[in-house]
Amino acid sequence: MLDAGRHPKIRILAYSEVEGLKGRDGNFEIKIRRKARYVKEDVCNACGMCVTKCPGRALDAFDMGLRKRTAIYLYFSQGIPAVMTIDPEHCIYFTKGRCRTCEKVCDKGAIDFEMKARVETYPVNAVILATGLDILDPSHLTHYGYGKLKNVITGLQYERLINATGPTGGHLERPSDGKLAKKVAYVQCVGSRDLNNCAYCSSVCCMYSIKDAMLAREHDPESDSYIFHTDLRNVGKWFQKYEKRAREEYGVNFIRGRVAQIEEDEECNPIVWYEDTRLQEVKALKVEMVVLATAATPAKGARGLARLLGVRTDPYGFIQTKPDEPADTSRPGIFACGFCKGPCDIPEAVSQASAAAERVAAFISQTAGV
Amino acid sequence: MKNSKRSSGDSTAPRIGVFVCNCGINIAGFVDTKEVAEYAKTLPNVVFVRENLYSCSEAGIRDIKQAIIENKLERVVVAACTPRTHEPTFRAACEEAGVNPYYFEFVNIREHCSWVHKDSRDDATEKAKDLIRMGVARAAYLEPMEPIIGDVTKKALVIGGGVSGMTAALELGSRGFDVVLVEKDKALGGLLRALDEIYPWGNKASTYLKQLVESTKTNTHIEVLTSTEVTDVTGYVGNYDVKLSTLEEPIRVGVIIVATGAVPLVPEGAYGYDARSKISMYELEVMLKQGKSPGKRVVMIGCAGVRSNERLYCSRICCMTAIKNALLLRKRYKAQVTVLYRDLMCYGTRNEEILAEAKKAGVRFINFSDEEPPLVEKEAVKVKGAILGREISLPYDKVVLTSALSPAPTNESLSRMLKVPLDEYGFFLEAHVKLRPLDFATDGIFVCGTSRWPATITECLEQSIGAASRASTFLATGSAKVEPIVSVIDPEKCRGCGLCVAVCPYGGIELVETDQGIKARTIEVACKGCGTCGATCYRGAITMRHYTNEQLVAQIKAAFAKV
Amino acid sequence: MEPRAAVIGGGIGGIQAALDLAEMGIEVLLVEKQPSIGGVMAQLDKTFPTNDCSI
Repeated sequence: MLDAGRHPKIRILAYSEVEGLKGRDGNFEIKIRRKARYVKEDVCNACGMCVTKCPGRALDAFDMGLRKRTAIYLYFSQGIPAVMTIDPEHCIYFTKGRCRTCEKVCDKGAIDFEMKARVETYPVNAVILATGLDILDPSHLTHYGYGKLKNVITGLQYERLINATGPTGGHLERPSDGKLAKKVAYVQCVGSRDLNNCAYCSSVCCMYSIKDAMLAREHDPESDSYIFHTDLRNVGKWFQKYEKRAREEYGVNFIRGRVAQIEEDEECNPIVWYEDTRLQEVKALKVEMVVLATAATPAKGARGLARLLGVRTDPYGFIQTKPDEPADTSRPGIFACGFCKGPCDIPEAVSQASAAAERVAAFISQTAGV
Repeated sequence: MKNSKRSSGDSTAPRIGVFVCNCGINIAGFVDTKEVAEYAKTLPNVVFVRENLYSCSEAGIRDIKQAIIENKLERVVVAACTPRTHEPTFRAACEEAGVNPYYFEFVNIREHCSWVHKDSRDDATEKAKDLIRMGVARAAYLEPMEPIIGDVTKKALVIGGGVSGMTAALELGSRGFDVVLVEKDKALGGLLRALDEIYPWGNKASTYLKQLVESTKTNTHIEVLTSTEVTDVTGYVGNYDVKLSTLEEPIRVGVIIVATGAVPLVPEGAYGYDARSKISMYELEVMLKQGKSPGKRVVMIGCAGVRSNERLYCSRICCMTAIKNALLLRKRYKAQVTVLYRDLMCYGTRNEEILAEAKKAGVRFINFSDEEPPLVEKEAVKVKGAILGREISLPYDKVVLTSALSPAPTNESLSRMLKVPLDEYGFFLEAHVKLRPLDFATDGIFVCGTSRWPATITECLEQSIGAASRASTFLATGSAKVEPIVSVIDPEKCRGCGLCVAVCPYGGIELVETDQGIKARTIEVACKGCGTCGATCYRGAITMRHYTNEQLVAQIKAAFAKV
Repeated sequence: MEPRAAVIGGGIGGIQAALDLAEMGIEVLLVEKQPSIGGVMAQLDKTFPTNDCSI
């Protein structure tokens, strides 16, 4: 990330979205909407003074809604560019017409309430799509109780909880009462491999759930973890060893069976009902927190972007590529890599990224004779 | 010897700045960074100390650069995390603020203090102080250096003429780079030559292969050498000299891509394998290609010889191969196919679709637990269905053992020649399993396809096109920049015995004729600064740049001298 | 004009693609809809199978 921020050949246009693409044969014109941050990127040094005084509040999207942030905020602390952004939907000045406290406390003069979004146009020879993923909101899968039962969270929320920079400073405090969760269930295939939701396998959940369970144990050696799974698809380098380590060294419990229902007792302890397929028995397990391995989907807006750029998507909304030309989209000059073209893990995404870069270079050398 | 404690324009001790990173609470949660920072102020030559929330953030870097300029700092010590990920960042910050990047010293108080001493804040804090004292002591003796830039021969060697090797060669060829493609067999194609249909492509492997071979052979930038093996490799990034079994003279290339593939494991000893009625999936594949039916009743057994203690890995593609062939058997011969599996590895979108298609087509899937594997008897396979909860008997004409891809036996000798590592199974080991999947730690050598890990054909294509990209970053610029941390040989002391040449794992030292006789000489672009030569030289003629004796002695003295 | 490509998405895929292109001498516009680059990977604590940090 830092290397990209520093490379003289890379220009980062953050807080920006693509609005259109014209042209062909390596002569494209891309239209990019630079959203208004209301903070001057070249002036702000993210000192954070504004944040200490800002009265506006909103749920923090980076922390998966687990804490509130101010209306003027730093997206995340190591982010690039490291500058503040004002969220106009929650800013008191934008919603109520008065405040401008940040402007007063900023001694750099970085705040600019008059800033307007602007559309910039750049000539480009090729485009790579790398729009990544979002996770499925599991609220409509009511049997898991997400949204109703406080101590049922998603895998990505768990990542923020257990992260030292997250809302609890890395402590596994459960949302209902802040108590440290010592007995945690990890539920696989929430919305994945499910004909009514995402018929496909999200590919990364088995491994990240194992990782999550291991991390819980590292944080608290007294804790217990239960992974409810179907097929454990641990197919990458060192994945089988990882699973074995989780079983043998970390004492992670693996239960083969789909979870049917999650309820809770009067202390908000989730009760997981499941069929243990090894024993052909319906059972219930009381835990202190449940982590749902929700399906990963194409990023919100990726389908619209694909339509805008004129590239085909598959029935799930992933960018379509041919199996024998895995980096090329349906439109010449536009390439794709990573999760936007189908579920993949980090090394696959990195390999595909290099592949997309290679195809761009080959495309440019063929169309422009460079 | 010059006094390296002095820096240009300053006749006294160097001005040292120390930055103590909190890393959020990653460090500050377990180390008293305030106390550490206060302590740092008391150390010799330290004229400036600052605590940062995140030193590596853009704001943190800006802060460091500003402090360097404002306080005229000559040496910079950052106490934060690991040089592995962040040293380049801080070195660049120094350089941008006008300080030679090698005047930077990294002290790791995260991994070495906060992470390993989570239970004892006091001890972690004390250790952080010790480490910073040592870092400051060494910093005073650092010397400025410039990166070494070497020329790159604009030609690539691709080892292996399967689908990965041909694809990598074609990519580079299409961009105008010259490629030598070597294949040890007499024909190109590798494992693909044995395959029948490719799923989910819906076409014959032979059709696809024919096109690929045709394009490879007709590409004017690609020289194809079949029945050829690599016999020796010397040199370094940009200039590798490679001896090939079919050429008299070595060829010189700038980069090397390893695409040697894998071999199907013969499931010897598993489930009564006999290559007749109990065959391997590879053998079934060959039968199908020849148009032979394995009979009406086929039982496939998954994970034969893998995912066991002996071979603790999943070969990624076998489930899919089994399902593909089960479908083919249904369609072509209306065979009754049962797939016995532990876990069905149909990750992603297309694989899951094919699984659904196979179920719809009437392929039967039965899960078994690894504690109760199927029993292959003379006429039937007996299996306890782990989800069904009862034992079933499956009469068969053929039992097909779905066994893994295993590392090519030639990997070992090739890894020695290239001086790149293998993993514990014998596949090639990339530089980083997540972030650098196609690179080796040695510059200029790359890996792709099943020589790295089992992969589908599409995944092999992604990796080989990707490896071409990685290789071309050297070919495109025509130069390679390497760290100046290399060995320095004192010709006065060197007797030319050649011990250092023998122990160097990177081919980074050579013997040369000089006026004073035979002497060892460092090939700077190849040297990785590992120090093995220095430890071996009984004359004490070899020292390492950036890890000089006086730097290390200063550090050691500081370790034992509580100030 | 120097060759130029746009990379849409500033997560691990987009960043790696941008770096490879830049190393080949191709200018890159790295477009990210969020206020800063990093993507989902920046939200992760540690990543399998080596449990090291993700950024």
